[in-house]
Amino acid sequence: MPAISRRDFLRIGTESLLALSGILGLGVLIRYLSYQPEPPPPDQHIAGQETDFPPGSRTVLSGIPALLIHSTNGFQAISLVCPHLGCTVQEKTGRLTCPCHGSQFDEDGLVTRRPAAQALKTLGVEVSPDGAVIVYS
Amino acid sequence: MRAVTLILLLLSLMVNALPISVLAAPPVEEPDPTPMVIDPRMDRPVLPENPSRADLGSIVYFEYCLACHGDQGQGLTDEYRQMAYGEDMDCWQSKCHATNHPTPGFIFPRVVPPVIGEGTLKRFVNAEDLYQYLLLRMPYYKYDMPPEIPDDDMWNVTAYLLRINGVLPDRIDFDPQQASMFPVHLTARSHGEEQVVQIVLLGSLALVVVGLLVQRGWRSASSPASRPSFIHHLHPPSIPRLQARWRYTLSAGGLAVFCLLVVVFTGILEMFFYVPTPESAGNSIQMITYAVPYGGLVRGLHFWSAQALVVVSGIHLLRVIFTGAYTQPRRLNYLLGLGLFLLSLLLDFTGYVLRWDEGIRWALTVGTNLLKTIPWIGQALYAFVVGADQPGATTLTRFYAWHIFGLTAIMLGIFTWHIFRVRRDGGISAPPPETRSDSHRITRFELVRREILAALLALIILIVVSARLPAPIDMPIQEIASLGQADPEAPWFFLWVQQLLRYGDAFWLGIAVPLGILALLALLPYLFPRVPADQQGRWFPRAGRIAQVVAALLAAGWLVLTLLELF
Repeated sequence: MPAISRRDFLRIGTESLLALSGILGLGVLIRYLSYQPEPPPPDQHIAGQETDFPPGSRTVLSGIPALLIHSTNGFQAISLVCPHLGCTVQEKTGRLTCPCHGSQFDEDGLVTRRPAAQALKTLGVEVSPDGAVIVYS
Repeated sequence: MRAVTLILLLLSLMVNALPISVLAAPPVEEPDPTPMVIDPRMDRPVLPENPSRADLGSIVYFEYCLACHGDQGQGLTDEYRQMAYGEDMDCWQSKCHATNHPTPGFIFPRVVPPVIGEGTLKRFVNAEDLYQYLLLRMPYYKYDMPPEIPDDDMWNVTAYLLRINGVLPDRIDFDPQQASMFPVHLTARSHGEEQVVQIVLLGSLALVVVGLLVQRGWRSASSPASRPSFIHHLHPPSIPRLQARWRYTLSAGGLAVFCLLVVVFTGILEMFFYVPTPESAGNSIQMITYAVPYGGLVRGLHFWSAQALVVVSGIHLLRVIFTGAYTQPRRLNYLLGLGLFLLSLLLDFTGYVLRWDEGIRWALTVGTNLLKTIPWIGQALYAFVVGADQPGATTLTRFYAWHIFGLTAIMLGIFTWHIFRVRRDGGISAPPPETRSDSHRITRFELVRREILAALLALIILIVVSARLPAPIDMPIQEIASLGQADPEAPWFFLWVQQLLRYGDAFWLGIAVPLGILALLALLPYLFPRVPADQQGRWFPRAGRIAQVVAALLAAGWLVLTLLELF
């Protein structure tokens, strides 16, 4: 085993501690910068009363944003967040179009034109016993 | 004797019991169809003697909040509904809190959030914030209607929530006056972790200091592994040994550079969370101080290194005058240094105002009104600085822009020039080579080792001071035109002006005198230009005596006026 001189030992020791201090400082920095001051957005929204959405209606809920569809199968909600890069999809003449890169979706949210590769997300909907329509995002 | 007593006792018991069991026919008990068994968890809390606000708040909680938020603040959980309401546990069914609720009722939200437990108060910055929310939104059924719970009870329930969430210590009662100073999510920060990390960091830095002290030849040219690094190349290859001694430089210039680096770095970090609007500035500073991990340390370092910058710059300025270094060829650099000193004061003042809390109210008012007293240009200058007829949102934005960009950019520019001039002028002032008592020189390796040592020691001191003495913070200013609540006090380096202003005309004492002193300092190298070369590079050369006396008198005057204002 090669002997290490006193001088090298001191130098390596000092510089290791300097590195340790630096790493600790870096850890402090990461902890500091990773703090999130804003609370997370709500994951459930009361859309309104069941009676506000007559059968056959398609309503844009801008706060979520989502499209609430009341069909013969009951309530159904499609997220209006484009799966491509997150712009809000707009409904025009029965067609859902993304204003940012031109992705298009059919009325059920399936892709009809790229660049989006996935269909619009389907959100959970629940009608509470008192008739409030709750959308889960 | 004892046996007799016992028998008598038994007999009397039997006589008493007999009629009941024999004579009274047992009543036919109708079983109650719904036995009202109330769980003891739903009992009204019992007040102790001399109840605190938090204790009183537990009653308010019981009366108004518990029904929905649960006996343990758990929110409307299934378990709680089962326990508290039995078969009525479906709150949303018809005729309860559904749309067809009876008249005084209300529709019920699907989710009632927990209010006790980790993270439940996270969205609130301080107690005032929590109180305002409760006042506006609670109880739920009173939303958009005149408040039902009296203010005082609302404060009590605020205190209760703080106590039960472990934010308000048991021995302290809650003071609504201090509410906006009372951070709510203290629990969001792990104080244990921060203390451990700080102690390990300080220990490690201290060992590095010891290691550097015992290794005189650390990373010197003689050690095989090292060539001059980038840092080394910022320094001249060698400097006279006498000029590198602590007793000559006091390390003041080098420490000013280090403080500037710390201030800039921590300032950038603060910009990630600081919000420069009157509504949010105070709260965002509380958030940095109390909620962001290591935020108290970062803010403390920013504050204390800024104060240290003023102190070491002042010492540096005095050193330069007392050693005759302000004369040619260093006259330009002296003026640049004076400019840097002035900028550090302006930066300190603008930074002070960014707190936007009660502590700065009067300093801001007085400081900006002083501008108005200047003849001819006063009004225009005021409009330029304040941006309105009185301090407000525009003022804060302008001070922020000056603080983080305008003044900082000018400062960094002049700072670079100042350092460059030190090299251009052949290093700091020194006697001519032939008159030196010690002709040895030290290498840039040794110089850098000493600089790192000084910087690490300064860092250790700054961390310890920041941990022990938190940077000042006060209640956020609600309305700039309202009555202030804090003692009017200028920042410490302007206390002397505050004292001067007590003696007479605001313009002469508050503007003309400080500017005159600045002009006098700037004129020193012109008024007393001759310090012969053989007297340069040592303390108190005879030729510069008058300049030294002037500087000493100014420093003494500053000290006396400051002390007068303090006591």
